[in-house]
Amino acid sequence: MAKHLISLTINGDTYEDLVVSDNQTLLDVIRGEVGLKGTKRGCTTGACGVCTVNDANGDAILSCMTHVLEWDGEAITTIEGLADTSDLDAIQKAFVHYGAVQCGSCTPGVIMSAKALLNTHPQPTEEQINEAMAGVLCRCTGHVKVKEAIRNAHRIEEVVSHAAGD
Amino acid sequence: MPPEIKPQVPKDNPGLTVVGQRQPRLDGADKVSGRSVFTDDVVLPGMLYGKILRSTHAHARIKRLDTSKAEALPGVKAVVTAAHATGMSANSTDSVAKASKRRTGKTIKLKTGETIFADDVVTYIGEEIAAVAALDEATATKALELIEVEYEPLPAIMDSRRAVRAGAPQVNEEFPGNVWSQDIDNYGDPDTAFDEADFIMESKFEAGVTHNLYAEFHVALVDFSRPDKLKIWTPTQTSYLMQHSLAPAFGLSVNQVQIIHLNTGGAFSGRGAVRPHHYVAVLLSRETRRPVKVFSAGDEEFLIGRALGKNRYKTRVAADKDGTLRAFDMTCEMDGGAVGNEVGYFGWMAGLSNAWMFDLQGNRFQRKVILTNQRPNFLGHGGMMVSSNCAVQQLLAKVARSLDMDPMDLLLKNAVEQGHTGLSGEVFASCGLKECIETVRRESGWDDKYDKLPPYHGIGVAVGAMAAGAKGAFKHDTSAAMVRVGEDGLITVYTGIPDMGQGTHTTMAMIAAEVLGIDANDVQLVAGDTDLTPIDIGAFAQRGTITTGNAARNAAIDARDQLAVYAAEKLETSVDNLRFAHGQVSRVDDPQQSLPFKEVTWGTLNSMEGRFVMGRGFYNSPLPYGTTSWSFDAQVAEVIVDPETGQIDVLKVTVAHDLGRTINPLAVEGQIDGQVFSAMSQVIYEELVTDDGLFLNPSRLEYKMPRTYEMPEIAHFMIESNDPYGPFGAKEVGEGPVVVAGAAIIAAVSNALGGTLMPEMPMTPMRVLKAIRASELEKSQSQSAA
Repeated sequence: MAKHLISLTINGDTYEDLVVSDNQTLLDVIRGEVGLKGTKRGCTTGACGVCTVNDANGDAILSCMTHVLEWDGEAITTIEGLADTSDLDAIQKAFVHYGAVQCGSCTPGVIMSAKALLNTHPQPTEEQINEAMAGVLCRCTGHVKVKEAIRNAHRIEEVVSHAAGD
Repeated sequence: MPPEIKPQVPKDNPGLTVVGQRQPRLDGADKVSGRSVFTDDVVLPGMLYGKILRSTHAHARIKRLDTSKAEALPGVKAVVTAAHATGMSANSTDSVAKASKRRTGKTIKLKTGETIFADDVVTYIGEEIAAVAALDEATATKALELIEVEYEPLPAIMDSRRAVRAGAPQVNEEFPGNVWSQDIDNYGDPDTAFDEADFIMESKFEAGVTHNLYAEFHVALVDFSRPDKLKIWTPTQTSYLMQHSLAPAFGLSVNQVQIIHLNTGGAFSGRGAVRPHHYVAVLLSRETRRPVKVFSAGDEEFLIGRALGKNRYKTRVAADKDGTLRAFDMTCEMDGGAVGNEVGYFGWMAGLSNAWMFDLQGNRFQRKVILTNQRPNFLGHGGMMVSSNCAVQQLLAKVARSLDMDPMDLLLKNAVEQGHTGLSGEVFASCGLKECIETVRRESGWDDKYDKLPPYHGIGVAVGAMAAGAKGAFKHDTSAAMVRVGEDGLITVYTGIPDMGQGTHTTMAMIAAEVLGIDANDVQLVAGDTDLTPIDIGAFAQRGTITTGNAARNAAIDARDQLAVYAAEKLETSVDNLRFAHGQVSRVDDPQQSLPFKEVTWGTLNSMEGRFVMGRGFYNSPLPYGTTSWSFDAQVAEVIVDPETGQIDVLKVTVAHDLGRTINPLAVEGQIDGQVFSAMSQVIYEELVTDDGLFLNPSRLEYKMPRTYEMPEIAHFMIESNDPYGPFGAKEVGEGPVVVAGAAIIAAVSNALGGTLMPEMPMTPMRVLKAIRASELEKSQSQSAA
């Protein structure tokens, strides 16, 4: 199988000269060649959404359905790139605070889908949340607390400090 | 009768400072940052990738199996077949057979007979035939294609009703007539009850084939490169049973098998046993002396995931005209698939649980496990109790209707109370069932809605009970825990209970923090590794909170008692005059006299004589077998049915759950939400459609679960009956709600259709339309009769 050299920028780090094959997906390279394991491998058929990452525009993409060769030179964000070094992103804090995490296996994909929504709609409506999150499957939470976390992400600092009694 | 025991803390105002607080998961930050490590994330030096060749026939003789081309493929390191697993059986259910004998006096007919690979004959699509380990997954996949299998197709039997007819093809020659087992469980005196009752009502109900659909698929990583140490990373509900199944199969002692299961991506009752892919990974690693990972993706997950098979119920209820329920009599035909192993036992549990909520004279459950050439079955979320309760609760609504009685009144009239002794001798040491019913009646607005809603708009109620802990399934039901106290005041809890998402690790931290009077965030966990953690049978049978919770509490008390020596000396008092709370150790008689907890730990561990504080605790039910504690639950569901399309819109589910005491309300709400979701999913959407044993919808796109926009509003009410056995009075919330939510939804749909019983779950649009036609027919017949 033919090999190719590509470059990818992941969470601000540029990986030059990644050797990839024709049939590899973005998911394969993130988890394999690059070695970031936060993005999970689920169905590998685009049905479950746990492999979701964000592209340079902040849109959600299914990395298991994305042919990596077509992404030569592109930049993406994975779950590891959401927080800066010192603190969690607002959506991550909201997921912890509102109990939107249970087993955690779908969580990276769920959060990256939510992040894509919040990038364009910081205070999304119920309908926008339902639509944006319909593609990620989560049995543990039944979506309830996930939606609550997304609804409240924009004011999470205030909520957390209030809960801490500050 | 269990011994009279007092609750650990009084029901009201118990002075708890950690228990009852909304505590975010301690592993939450790791899980939202991608730092949590799941099995598929682990890569070991020299690791190989395994793939399994599976049968494409439901029933066939293997005439020829040639692996030579696969073996010759560069990059292939091993190919294994039945020849490598001679005499080895998947024996995970031995303990279940013994359990049944201990609890019922009868041995469930159980002969696992399940081999790791099919030998001469395959009996279902997906059965293991051979496996390959290669340098990478692509090579392993390619090697599978090079394995030549010549099948001689045999007549297959796909339907349990046809399987028992004369002349049906035989799935397993040792079970003539395809009957794996047949049992009748009688409790109390059902015969007299049915003879003497004013009337009898009956119904038929069917439940379809499911998959548990956890987010983390089946995966096993095995390192058996050293002959005396078998390490396996895998999601599981029970490392204990895995050790006990794998050790004898590979000639090891139990603790030579190390199970690593820090994160388990959901289980929903489906990960309680060792499965062929685990054994296959071990065989491949043994053969290559290198670590091997076997991962299933896409369609394969649906082939190997064992969940509920087709179950067909006939339910009879005997009642009197004043609304007294006398007895239940349920018959269930269970499709065991090609291996009947565990299914009969789960039927027994369903038969028992149907009756727990009611003061009955008799209860009978007849179960027949039938072999077919379908996938072997196991448990779905809530086991068979979801579907059996759907059958029972709908019928009770019909009983009420026939008596012109409100179903709420019928349930209240027959509901058990604290101190009640059930038909199989179970004693309810705590019981908040009536309070649950009254709560959902009030909070759902039932009295303004029942029989007052417009056509196709329905409301339904259901109740349930769930045993917490299950001594008798094994000789003992032990959980142990250790609590290490650090000199800096940080506490480490060692526990073997798996956290599959339910949040039990955070629960254990909260329990230890409560005892020591510190913040739960100052507790760290060592869990998910059998080399490091003490015995724990596992996270099933709702034993986590009550059994492991008591173990953690006992260990924390032991640690606290050790710290109390130093604190008492410093505060110039006796050890029993101390209170540990809010990060302080203070004198009970003079709370102003206190020391910071961290000063006590520092002082204790930096003493001249040298000290070490490790609290030890364990818990094993005081009963010889059976359960000490049951949760109770009542729920009301409100639905709208579209008569044009047959679609069901669930508007609201109101849940009142008697969990004894709420340890962590945030986690409890999450458990309830997830179980309403799961039950709704099972009764409305989830079904694996099969054609000659082949799944037609083995994908998350086609195997439907509720999406975001389909979820109802959920109202939670926690009823605290303060169980005398539970840690701080807590019982369970792991499976109690799921067995009720489905029944409430189905009762609401039935109510929306004017009381027509729904004969089948899931209630797909087509089935709903059929039921609507049936209800219209019923109406027109009763009108013409009038």
